[in-house]
Amino acid sequence: MSRNDSKYFSTTKKGEIPELKEELNSQYKDKRKDAVKKVIAAMTVGKDVSSLFTDVVNCMQTENLELKKLVYLYLINYAKSQPDLAILAVNTFVKDSQDPNPLIRALAVRTMGCIRVDKITEYLCDPLQRCLKDDDPYVRKTAAICVAKLYDINAELVEDRGFLDSLKDLISDNNPMVVANAVAALAEIQDNSSRPIFELTSTTLTKLLTALNECTEWGQVFILDALSRYKAADAREAENIVERVTPRLQHANCAVVLSSVKMILQQMELITSTDVVRNLCKKMAPPLVTLLSAEPEIQYVALRNINLIVQRRPTILAHEIKVFFCKYNDPIYVKMEKLEIMIKLASDRNIDQVLLEFKEYATEVDVDFVRKAVRAIGRCAIKLERAAERCISVLLELIKIKVNYVVQEAIIVIKDIFRRYPNTYESIIATLCENLDTLDEPEAKASMIWIIGEYAERIDNADELLESFLENFPEEPAQVQLQLLTATVKLFLKKPTEGPQQMIQVVLNNATAETDNPDLRDRAYIYWRLLSTDPEAAKDVVLAEKPVITDDSNQLDPSLLDELLVNIATLSSVYHKPPDAFVTRTHSLAQKTEDGDYPEGDEIGYSESHANPANGAASPPSSSYSVPASVAPASPPPSALVPDLLGDLMGMDDSVVPLDQTATPAGPALPIVLPASTGQGLQISAQLTRQDGQIFYSMLFENSTQVPLDGFMIQFNKNTFGLAAAGPLQVPQLQPGTSTRTLLPMVLFQNMSQGPPNSLLQVAVKNNQQPMWYFNDKFSFHVLFTEDGKMERSTFLETWRSLPDSNEVSKDFPDIVVGGVDVTLDLLAASNVFFIAKRKNANQDVFYFSAKIPRGTPLLVELTTVVGNPGVKCAIKTPSPEMSAFFFEAIETLLRS
Amino acid sequence: MGLVFTKLFSSLFGNKEARILVLGLDNAGKTTILYRLQMGEVVSTIPTIGFNVETVQYNNIKFQVWDLGGQTSIRPYWRCYFPNTQAIIYVVDSSDVDRLVIAKEEFHAILEEEELKGAVVLLFANKQDLPGALDDAAVTEALELHKIKNRQWSIFKTSAIKGEGLFEGLDW
Repeated sequence: MSRNDSKYFSTTKKGEIPELKEELNSQYKDKRKDAVKKVIAAMTVGKDVSSLFTDVVNCMQTENLELKKLVYLYLINYAKSQPDLAILAVNTFVKDSQDPNPLIRALAVRTMGCIRVDKITEYLCDPLQRCLKDDDPYVRKTAAICVAKLYDINAELVEDRGFLDSLKDLISDNNPMVVANAVAALAEIQDNSSRPIFELTSTTLTKLLTALNECTEWGQVFILDALSRYKAADAREAENIVERVTPRLQHANCAVVLSSVKMILQQMELITSTDVVRNLCKKMAPPLVTLLSAEPEIQYVALRNINLIVQRRPTILAHEIKVFFCKYNDPIYVKMEKLEIMIKLASDRNIDQVLLEFKEYATEVDVDFVRKAVRAIGRCAIKLERAAERCISVLLELIKIKVNYVVQEAIIVIKDIFRRYPNTYESIIATLCENLDTLDEPEAKASMIWIIGEYAERIDNADELLESFLENFPEEPAQVQLQLLTATVKLFLKKPTEGPQQMIQVVLNNATAETDNPDLRDRAYIYWRLLSTDPEAAKDVVLAEKPVITDDSNQLDPSLLDELLVNIATLSSVYHKPPDAFVTRTHSLAQKTEDGDYPEGDEIGYSESHANPANGAASPPSSSYSVPASVAPASPPPSALVPDLLGDLMGMDDSVVPLDQTATPAGPALPIVLPASTGQGLQISAQLTRQDGQIFYSMLFENSTQVPLDGFMIQFNKNTFGLAAAGPLQVPQLQPGTSTRTLLPMVLFQNMSQGPPNSLLQVAVKNNQQPMWYFNDKFSFHVLFTEDGKMERSTFLETWRSLPDSNEVSKDFPDIVVGGVDVTLDLLAASNVFFIAKRKNANQDVFYFSAKIPRGTPLLVELTTVVGNPGVKCAIKTPSPEMSAFFFEAIETLLRS
Repeated sequence: MGLVFTKLFSSLFGNKEARILVLGLDNAGKTTILYRLQMGEVVSTIPTIGFNVETVQYNNIKFQVWDLGGQTSIRPYWRCYFPNTQAIIYVVDSSDVDRLVIAKEEFHAILEEEELKGAVVLLFANKQDLPGALDDAAVTEALELHKIKNRQWSIFKTSAIKGEGLFEGLDW
């Protein structure tokens, strides 16, 4: 650009950090304050200023509230990265928690809670205890929250120091804000604990109900949430509670409203008097309706919650269906939710209105919305028998407007309607058939084909129609193919004439011989066999009466619904998923499993969220769900081992199904590389393996020490092939007497060593409890053979000729016997040594193989042997003959196994 | 004339403060000394985990006195406070004869510090009120103070509880 650019490189500045450091140590207070401000500014824009930790902490003891706040802010941010130095701040916290100014006391307590450093939590207990009994409510309420934070860091400490009891005392505090925060803290702790910590009694109940009316809106939310967990003793009590809470329904804050609704719904379960329930339902409707006049985002949340409420108690909003009619300017997500609720609220009384609305929606522009509207009509038809006819007529009108996707969607729902009300509305089939050409979506096609097959006897030209579909049978998606197959069979059974007979031949042929879809093939075979053995039986099976369907799409499972209703006004009720499906409480999970009374089922059910490898260690039963970073209850390996059991397993199995190996999570036994005697009780067995084209280091750790081992790490020394770990070692904490198995993905050519090649892998493994362990693992060369090693004969010959004879090395294995040729070939192929050709030379057989090691180095192999007799001569030709020694080892291992 | 000097002095230094570190093993009485100096009264203290800093005004000179915790775990962090330090007050518990060796080692380690080259060293043989306390000469002997070269140092018998000897030390 210009010569002035050089100025950017020649700066007189020393750099920001030393400059700040100097200023922080300045003797002038205002300068220090400015410096801290600069540090905070740097921190907020993401610069790392953690190296100034001590200097900033030194500014902590000051009368200046502003400066103190800034330093605290800094501490919260960086204490974690400087856990050792954080201890320097402890004394100041202790002092500040005794400051005459309640603001400073509260500030100190709040900051203490935010510093999540294990080492110093212990020192902070005394100040916290003091603050829980502080005279000032502001300090007490801050301290209450701090207890919950502390519980998250160190639950035991909180219990030992009796903080839980102090918290429970705070529920009886005379300040409602303190009560609310104590409740919030207890609820939070309860969520993280398996033991009942926070249970309301009738005395605390009255206190909460009193505090409810006085505290802030967010405090009310906490208290209401706590109340909704309370199990009232009887209907009377429940009624009383509800009565005290109902005024909250009028609150302006929608969180308060939703929490109250949740609370009332919970208590309503207990109330037996229908009058009271009806009254309550009446009272709950207006606030829910009001929520829908808020911003679209809040509307959405409200709608998701209402969706749940309506499933449990449709009566609440039965008369309010009009508020769920979509406005033209509603965002699409609101419209979709409204549709869902309209379907749920549709009844014989309001169906006309609703259908009018749906019809209107079906002519809008948004495709997704239109589809959903059409579907909604269908679902109403299925739900309300008396309205079905009206629904059908609306659908027919919609088909007449000939908009492609409307027609397709209509056909899909009409299929469902036929299914629901058989032999009622078949008169409209003709109309449907007019639209055959427009169908291009698989679902619509499949539906239409189903209709044709089902009513083949009433459609005169059913065979023609089906035939038109059959023309491009092989190109159709599986869904359509399956329907076509079934429909053709039905047609044939209903009209066993010439045409259908030919059709069925074509279809069955296509579906059995030409397809690789197992579902389709199996179904076709079943039909084929049925038809060929007993057509009458086939009729009974294929044309059997179908059970009546109901509309249960978008209906939640009752137990899930129960759980979600408990969680109204939380994210869970918006997602319609139970909280543990998307929140992982890793810390507490480990704790709970140690306690031993944690229900395993929960964890297994959601193991796809893959909480944390750490909880796998404590609960082995769940582990098999998390392959491949898996922890499998492995069997102790027998001491004398065939080194290549894996190859064996795969090769000996006649039907080589590559999936087999993943289906056995326990895996084969591995050779021991670090015996327990050397590893002070830690035994490691390991082997390089190849799976699905990737090299893994399959490892088994067995802990026979007295202590749990954790923090495993692994490092590979430089080696000929540059093998290195592709990721960190995934080994959870290993309890005494347990073992864990892991597959460590490996990469090649990472840390190559120079010097003579060898197949030794030098490995170092360390953990937090023991010294570093080193061991050597002599790996089998054949794991390096790549899957693309197969060569054409011509290429093989060419390569063979192109290589000079000096590149050919051979070796004799006088005692190896090649038994069965096929077995051996399969065995070698499973290890990516591919058979090329075979020739007879006198009484000897000569086999040619090819293999490839990474970076495309080919290995051309000639094996000469007399089948069944000992003695194999192996010759190998390759551009890099220095590898041949490894190859001989590998081939020897493979042949001997 | 003296008045003019003081004024000149204060205007020169403004609110500039001399930085003094109070070091010593745990339970030597550092925090008690600090507050005795600052407020003139005995406060009950708990072990300092971290540090205290107070401004002490004595004879029109302001001292910024840093009292650092003496626990083994905190001692490594003393060095964070060494830069810009004008003086060190090393407090020894004269009655704790067993740990005098450790006190000696820590003390000499401090003297080795590059950043404390220019700092003046003042020793307080504290807890003289307790029976069995060694006097200053014995402490001098135990800490091998005679080895100190190239540095100003002095030792005083003190009792923070009674307030004896502290200000004599500062006078020096």
